[in-house]
Amino acid sequence: MNFDKIKETVNSIEMSKTMKNRVKKNCNIIEKKNFKGRISVACAFGFLLLIMIGIPLFNNNGNFQVSNFTITAYALSDDGNQPNTKLSSDKATFELSTEARGSTTDITGDVGNLIFTKLMLNISGEHIDSITYTISKGKFIEDVTLTAKEYADKDWLLSKKIFMIGSSPGSDRYNGTKEIGNTYTVKYNEQDKYKYSLAIPHDGNLVIDDDIIIKVIVKYTDGSSEQQDIVVTQESNSIKSNSISLKLN
Amino acid sequence: MLQQLVWSNELDIERIVDKYGNMLFRMCLVILCNENDAEDVVQDTFITYLTKSPPFNDSEHEKAWLITIATNRCKNMRRYNIIRKHMDINDLQLYCKDDENYGLIEHLMRLPNKHKIVLLLYYVEGYKVDEIAKILAITTSAVKKRLQRGRELIRERYRKENER
Repeated sequence: MNFDKIKETVNSIEMSKTMKNRVKKNCNIIEKKNFKGRISVACAFGFLLLIMIGIPLFNNNGNFQVSNFTITAYALSDDGNQPNTKLSSDKATFELSTEARGSTTDITGDVGNLIFTKLMLNISGEHIDSITYTISKGKFIEDVTLTAKEYADKDWLLSKKIFMIGSSPGSDRYNGTKEIGNTYTVKYNEQDKYKYSLAIPHDGNLVIDDDIIIKVIVKYTDGSSEQQDIVVTQESNSIKSNSISLKLN
Repeated sequence: MLQQLVWSNELDIERIVDKYGNMLFRMCLVILCNENDAEDVVQDTFITYLTKSPPFNDSEHEKAWLITIATNRCKNMRRYNIIRKHMDINDLQLYCKDDENYGLIEHLMRLPNKHKIVLLLYYVEGYKVDEIAKILAITTSAVKKRLQRGRELIRERYRKENER
């Protein structure tokens, strides 16, 4: 019995040209149908973060002061890695995952059009007391895990501002999205405790609003403060690579 | 920009269908024994490629990924019993350029799926045992057993046929 004949025999099977063309045609149709959606989803990946205005402030003594803190953007990618980029004047790219929350339930019914990113910010510098973030449009959010009992208590959920709920098949744990608001302040050495990511408004087709600015004000232990603004925009040429670009303007 | 991307995706479809279409189709046809099902799986596999494929290290990685997707879809089709009627072996003449060895294909098609997939990957695609193990997410000893059992089954069937 010559099993090598299997190769010869099976390889003599070929798709007809008609079938091949039909497959190509159908793939193209479906691809184009999905294209708008894919652009939108892909665009959600491609936020372009720009530090537009690194505002050097005057300190309490009236002296000119160059910005003394660094902003790092963390983007949790699909493979669970946490690539991070220090926001600077050079354009840098990295993959950014947005969480698809299509299977979640909005318990308030008024979440509106928000893109939930896994994008988080962290500040590093010396003698920093606290940091205040303020986003001009959208919200800061926190991912929380809920028990079945908590999940069933709608009043409790609303009181905690947990407005989106999702669950994994076969699991008795529920994933919630907690609204933090459009501003929050965190102590410098407690940043790790507050993993707040961004929920960014879009126009209904996942195209984000223009002019979204995250204002970062750092208060130092000597009472002085500094501010840098991050402009959040979308990059539509990242469809294939799902990449993010960051640069100082 | 958008037009360029649509164009680029069309090129991608042309390339992958031309490069891997026949390979996937013949594999799916032997597994599912139905040309419509095989075509559906091939098409689904390419759509999955276009929408969800990861970055590939090289063309071998790309090929192995496509085979994994296609064979999983074939298994699902059989699992959920949504396959259509098996094709008559004589209809294979429509597909086979080689009009010899139909008997061999017939015996191969009548094997249980788990055996024929391993035989296809080993003899037709030329993968090694450890590579097949990776593609199918099974152990190398399972691959060896399936290869051995597949060969035995084909031999037995040939023998029975010759005894008639």
